[in-house]
Amino acid sequence: MEEIIDKAEKPKWSQTREVFNRLSKRITAMIGLVIVLIFLVSAIFAPFLAPYDPLEHSLGHMLAKPSWDYPLGRDELGRCILSRVIYGARISLLIGTMVISIGVLLGAPLGIISAYYGGKVDFIIQRFVDTMLAFPGILLALTLIAMLGVGLANVMIAVGISTIPIYARLARSSVLAIKSRQFVEASRSIGASNFKIILRHLLPNSLSPIIVQSTLHMATAILWAAGLGFLGLGINPPTPEWGAMLNGGRLYIRVAYHVATFPGLMIFITVLGFNLLGDGLRDALDPRLKT
Amino acid sequence: MNSLLRVEDLKTCFYTDAGMVKAVDGISYDLQEGETMGLVGESGCGKSVSALSILRLIPYPPGKITGGKVVFEGKDLLNISEEEIRDVRGNRIAMIFQEPMTSLNPVLTIGLQIGEALEIHRGLNKKETRDEVLRLLRMVGIPDPERRIDDYPHQFSGGMRQRVMIAMALSCSPKLLIADEPTTAVDVTIQAQLLETIKDLTSRLGTAVILITHNLGVVARHVNRMAVMYAGRIIESGPATEVYEHPRHPYTVGLLASVPRLDKPRVGRLVPIDGQPPDLIRLPPGCSFFPRCSHRMQQCSMERPELRIVGAGHLAACLKDLGS
Repeated sequence: MEEIIDKAEKPKWSQTREVFNRLSKRITAMIGLVIVLIFLVSAIFAPFLAPYDPLEHSLGHMLAKPSWDYPLGRDELGRCILSRVIYGARISLLIGTMVISIGVLLGAPLGIISAYYGGKVDFIIQRFVDTMLAFPGILLALTLIAMLGVGLANVMIAVGISTIPIYARLARSSVLAIKSRQFVEASRSIGASNFKIILRHLLPNSLSPIIVQSTLHMATAILWAAGLGFLGLGINPPTPEWGAMLNGGRLYIRVAYHVATFPGLMIFITVLGFNLLGDGLRDALDPRLKT
Repeated sequence: MNSLLRVEDLKTCFYTDAGMVKAVDGISYDLQEGETMGLVGESGCGKSVSALSILRLIPYPPGKITGGKVVFEGKDLLNISEEEIRDVRGNRIAMIFQEPMTSLNPVLTIGLQIGEALEIHRGLNKKETRDEVLRLLRMVGIPDPERRIDDYPHQFSGGMRQRVMIAMALSCSPKLLIADEPTTAVDVTIQAQLLETIKDLTSRLGTAVILITHNLGVVARHVNRMAVMYAGRIIESGPATEVYEHPRHPYTVGLLASVPRLDKPRVGRLVPIDGQPPDLIRLPPGCSFFPRCSHRMQQCSMERPELRIVGAGHLAACLKDLGS
């Protein structure tokens, strides 16, 4: 049994390796990958990497400039900015993953069903998607937060819901291109049910655009989360969050540039990293390059 | 003799913006167990649609089966539930498609794809499915199946992919195999091999075959009986050798005159059939071959000829008796 799984896995790995090989040929994509990896590592291992407790404040060292002991300096309550930035990656990663999960898990099935069944089902789903797309994303998210209330979970739900139509459209268009292919008909001709056809044949074939979009979306989600944090709509104050840190440092920018600059730089670099990686993946997963 | 499949007055239409296309316009035939029938005709004459209609694989909309019966093993396939027809597909009746390049899912290994029907109809577990798939791959003549089972379709040549399709179709030992131009997309040298494989395996399994093709050479060698289709109707049918030797419909005569014959001495140039196939939205009221027919009579433009017996088991739909 194990041997079978082993054998079945092998070619999949070779395909993954092929994609990785193409990815590694692009310097920008590799830079993106490195940034994303650093981001992931610092988010996951924050307690080991952060030199100090991110919540420990020391009013005697308010707005202390960067030094050897505190490489990025201290904030308005004397907390270590480096530690807070590292812990902040956790919140960003959490928000990013949840937002993408909500978007993909709800949006993609909607799009696949819409394209596969066509006709009235397609019409109804697409009008619903149109309605959602008519709102600018951030406005929709703000409206949802106004309805749901302030808080981390609500930010994730709000931003997540506002990305549903994008994944629905994306999945729909790739399934439309695939469903008329002969292997779908061949699968029907051997008695496969609609559910099986969707799961076995349509989903795996429509995955690459979704992977690319979700990588790029990770950047958007982090940016939105920071934006909402900046507006004070995100997580509650003591927890380190990049947007909220940026807002906190804004008041002292003339006297202590570092308080706002480093969280801002983190947002900038992380978003850049995801964008570079996403662009690289888009090229590496291009079906026209497949042998 | 008990017939395995009886198609009666089958009609399939497509509703397009330009009007209703009668792709299949009332065809009837019988198929005995283990028999091989060739369905011949030019592109767009409705041969593929008639085959897809048997398994109710016509996409709706725009297509719709508007009438007739398809009695298979005593059941009218047009009148059973979606679950029941799914149980027939792949299990009792299987299909091979024209394009081996696009008939396989590019992101799944061929082992998984061949095993799909086995999982659905036999409920085999992973190990059993894998063993069975290996047996099938060996059966259709794929060398080194243990190594190839985990390969993806793009790692196979066209002929090998078509062998994979044959393995897929025969995985549940169906009673009827519908092969829709199985050799059109592969090299000539491979065509003969594939047809031999199909013929050999189906005769071993006792599977009846409907071979759809526009290649008359293929028909002559591989089928017991043939039916010639034109504009959605069967215009001539009978034992393959009989139709080949003594065609009774002007269209069949023209078709045979337009291809090189290896079984007869070379005589002059090949004769093409003049004109274009008719517009299926606006069929002429009489015989649909009337505008192109070299034997046409006044009567042909008014009266649509029905199939009538012209020899032993030989039917033709022509008002003129070409035989006499």
